[in-house]
Amino acid sequence: MAAAEYTGPAFDSSELKELKAKVVNACLILDREGITDGFGHVSVRVPEQAALLTIAQVSPGCAALDKLVLLDFDGNFLGGAKPPPYEWPIHACIMRARPDVMSVCHTHSKWSALFSVLKKGLRPVHMYGRFLPVAGPPIYPSAGLITSVERGTELAGALKDGAAVLLRAHGDAVVGTSIEQAILRTVQLAFLGELSHMAAVHGEPLYLTDEELATFAGDRSFPARPWEYFLSRLGERRIA
Amino acid sequence: MAANRKDIPTIDSSELRELADKLITACHILDHEGVTDGYGHVGVRVPGADAFVTIANISPGFVTRDRLIMQDFAGNHLDGATTPPNEWPIHACIFKARPEIVSVAHTHSKWSTIFSVLPIKLKPLHHYGKFLSADGPPVYEGVGLVRTLERGNELAAALGDGPAVLMRAHGDAVVGESIEQMIERTTRLAMLGEWNHLALLHGQPKYLTTQELEVYNADQRFPMRGWEYFVSRLSGSKNQLK
Repeated sequence: MAAAEYTGPAFDSSELKELKAKVVNACLILDREGITDGFGHVSVRVPEQAALLTIAQVSPGCAALDKLVLLDFDGNFLGGAKPPPYEWPIHACIMRARPDVMSVCHTHSKWSALFSVLKKGLRPVHMYGRFLPVAGPPIYPSAGLITSVERGTELAGALKDGAAVLLRAHGDAVVGTSIEQAILRTVQLAFLGELSHMAAVHGEPLYLTDEELATFAGDRSFPARPWEYFLSRLGERRIA
Repeated sequence: MAANRKDIPTIDSSELRELADKLITACHILDHEGVTDGYGHVGVRVPGADAFVTIANISPGFVTRDRLIMQDFAGNHLDGATTPPNEWPIHACIFKARPEIVSVAHTHSKWSTIFSVLPIKLKPLHHYGKFLSADGPPVYEGVGLVRTLERGNELAAALGDGPAVLMRAHGDAVVGESIEQMIERTTRLAMLGEWNHLALLHGQPKYLTTQELEVYNADQRFPMRGWEYFVSRLSGSKNQLK
């Protein structure tokens, strides 16, 4: 698709204002919660469009409204700051393959990086892992950056219809039907990784079963409260 | 000009001021990121001279401009504070042996120290380790402080043409062609050490291969963004250089 075919809201339009602020806060949250270091990015789909908003080659901890970029799913620049992140295909290829996904987080989470090089899966040992399969998230085995559509499509193939995929020697990609869900899952995946690690050091933990996970996942009243909590922990860094 | 060498600018001169401030910021970053404790030092080469600036017997966490010192490669005092760090030969001998190196960090990083006393190597299992060889940094076996040129030369020989050397029961020395690169490497070496430790508790991790590391290193776009981020994390801390 050529950039000219984009008919969605312009980068500076009021329609994108709220999403832009949310992307910035989401990046700051991942930094505040110790998930990202100098690298990683959060994206959000522009509703109804083959386009996304993400951060433009800045550390998530330094994200700001003037450091966002609008891209179509072919990587064409549609507005905002330049240059786009090297690994924009992570976001574009997953969103293209998964119409249900509104937001993607890519991080170098220590706990995802750890389980990406181990034989044992990052298996749910806590009900926070209700968004994961019983064997833990799949691992995309090909090391290196995801800088091409080919590799992005491979990664989306490894993610399939799941919520998270580990990237070998690299980190993870986590998706959600909202920014809030993608962030919550990313933070909880890290929490689970640490728990799984600590438990497995002592021997074989009692992992959750398929049946148990299905029970948690089916409970709609299961709280998804932390966005508000995470925002509160940003203090003055939070943007309005 | 430096007191004892008319051909070398002073630390406060316009030529060296920016480099000296960056050296201080680098020390504060290593402290803020938990890599150094009360010990360790960063050295920077005086461009084009057989001299370097480092910190004068003070913890990296609270170094200030008046605690910088300039020495030549024989240890002669050239400028600034008068108490050199005990281990100035680490800097002098590495700068002498490696003309392309601009900055050297010496730390007692817990993660370098642990792998300095294990039969297991600290090997790259994440692309943050792309600056290392597949079998990880060498270990300098000579225990104790590096206070003489003899020991400094031994350390430089153990480093060889590599980016880092572990020092047994002591810590590490990490080099870079810029202060930013040295910081990126020092902080990532500590992260990798931690991640190796965590992974090894579960058995044999899948390490990166020489071929995979070569692919990363051929990609010049591979980002080295750490400096800007680390500086942002100093903001508001007591360590921020005003």
